[in-house]
Amino acid sequence: MAVSINRQDNQPVYVLHTYPFKETSLVVELFSREFGRVAAVAKGARRPRSAMRGMLQAFQPLQATWSGKAELKNLHSMEWGSGLLLLQGEALMCGFYLNELLLRLLPREDAHDALFDYYNQTLCILARNDVAAGTTLRRFELRMLQEMGYAVPLTNDENAKPVIQNQLYHYIAEHGAVAADTHAGGANGVQLSGKTLLDMARDDYTDVQTQQQSKQLMRLLLAHYLGDKPLHTRQLLMDLQAL
Amino acid sequence: MRNPPALEQLVEALRCLPGVGPKSALRMAYHLLQRDRKGAGLLAQSLDQALQVVSHCNLCNNFSEHPICPLCASENRDKSLLCVVEMPSDLMMLEQTHSYQGMYFVLMGRLSPLDGIGPRDIHLDKLIKRAQDGYTEEVILATNYTVEGEATAHYVSELLRSRGLKVSRIARGLPMGGEIEHVDSGTLAQAMLERRSVR
Repeated sequence: MAVSINRQDNQPVYVLHTYPFKETSLVVELFSREFGRVAAVAKGARRPRSAMRGMLQAFQPLQATWSGKAELKNLHSMEWGSGLLLLQGEALMCGFYLNELLLRLLPREDAHDALFDYYNQTLCILARNDVAAGTTLRRFELRMLQEMGYAVPLTNDENAKPVIQNQLYHYIAEHGAVAADTHAGGANGVQLSGKTLLDMARDDYTDVQTQQQSKQLMRLLLAHYLGDKPLHTRQLLMDLQAL
Repeated sequence: MRNPPALEQLVEALRCLPGVGPKSALRMAYHLLQRDRKGAGLLAQSLDQALQVVSHCNLCNNFSEHPICPLCASENRDKSLLCVVEMPSDLMMLEQTHSYQGMYFVLMGRLSPLDGIGPRDIHLDKLIKRAQDGYTEEVILATNYTVEGEATAHYVSELLRSRGLKVSRIARGLPMGGEIEHVDSGTLAQAMLERRSVR
């Protein structure tokens, strides 16, 4: 819902994306801790000497001041937040992927402070580059869906029975795990072992099979919530691999 | 009241320019037809001419009237260096420094995952072929220090290094005459992280 308070000072934010707007301005998609996703116009931000120009970059902790009642706010100022994050190479592309997920799935002005903190933490992990990128992404995807209120039951199957480690399951979006022998299979499900579900619930991604199956599971779930339009970041990586 | 169809069509055509909405387009059309018909004629003629003769240089991908642009054809350039830039305006800026005598490749854009701009839009296949001409010894990546420019630099370097080419990236840090007191924290933090030993 629209926030009735007019002006917000020095809110912790991340820039998710910017679009050119009119001759010299930018529309900035912000992810703020207190107000969720906010779009604001940065007037004159594309002028060569604009103070904001260099600062409106993704993946940097910033503090923003904006005002306005309408959906599109006016961005007044930006300050550097704490510390500088250097995302390089593959981590940079993972960052773009996170931003695309947030832009596509998070409704405007719906506060998710826990998700914001987790996003912040995830960017730090990506910047340090010491955890396998795939694992970091799986954790974020799962956490994001959970924070947004989509249930992803991992420890119980569809009939509320505990998931068994050595059992095969079909996972169906909005339903959950269905024991493979009771389900004939279908186009809109993914087959995985009970161990994968339990590993994901325990946040343990060391097993190679867990890595592969959790990727398939998250892809299925995200595709379900994202709809038909594919993710640009995924397409771009596939195109790059083809070169 | 409706405008004559030809005028409507002109307004519609002018709207293809970046930053031009229906109102600006109408103002431009009125101006061209009422105040500056000569200018309008010249505009139409130049557009037509440019569309016919200007295409991309086979080597550097910059705009050119010839298959090989004068810069690429020049005998005085160092063929062992290839500088990759995003836009022709970046090439102009580098040329103005008079500090680089090598060759160029203009991507005509940057990878921008969130806008759906991928490798096919920035001629990476052409760059890969260009860099393997046998003369190039070092590829210098001079894409912007924005997140998109950085991503572009990373993938270009991966693609070229896997083909055995030496790749470097232009340095960044404090500007000429930059005073630490007045520089933005982002730049300063970068400069500190990427400090170099004094020779």
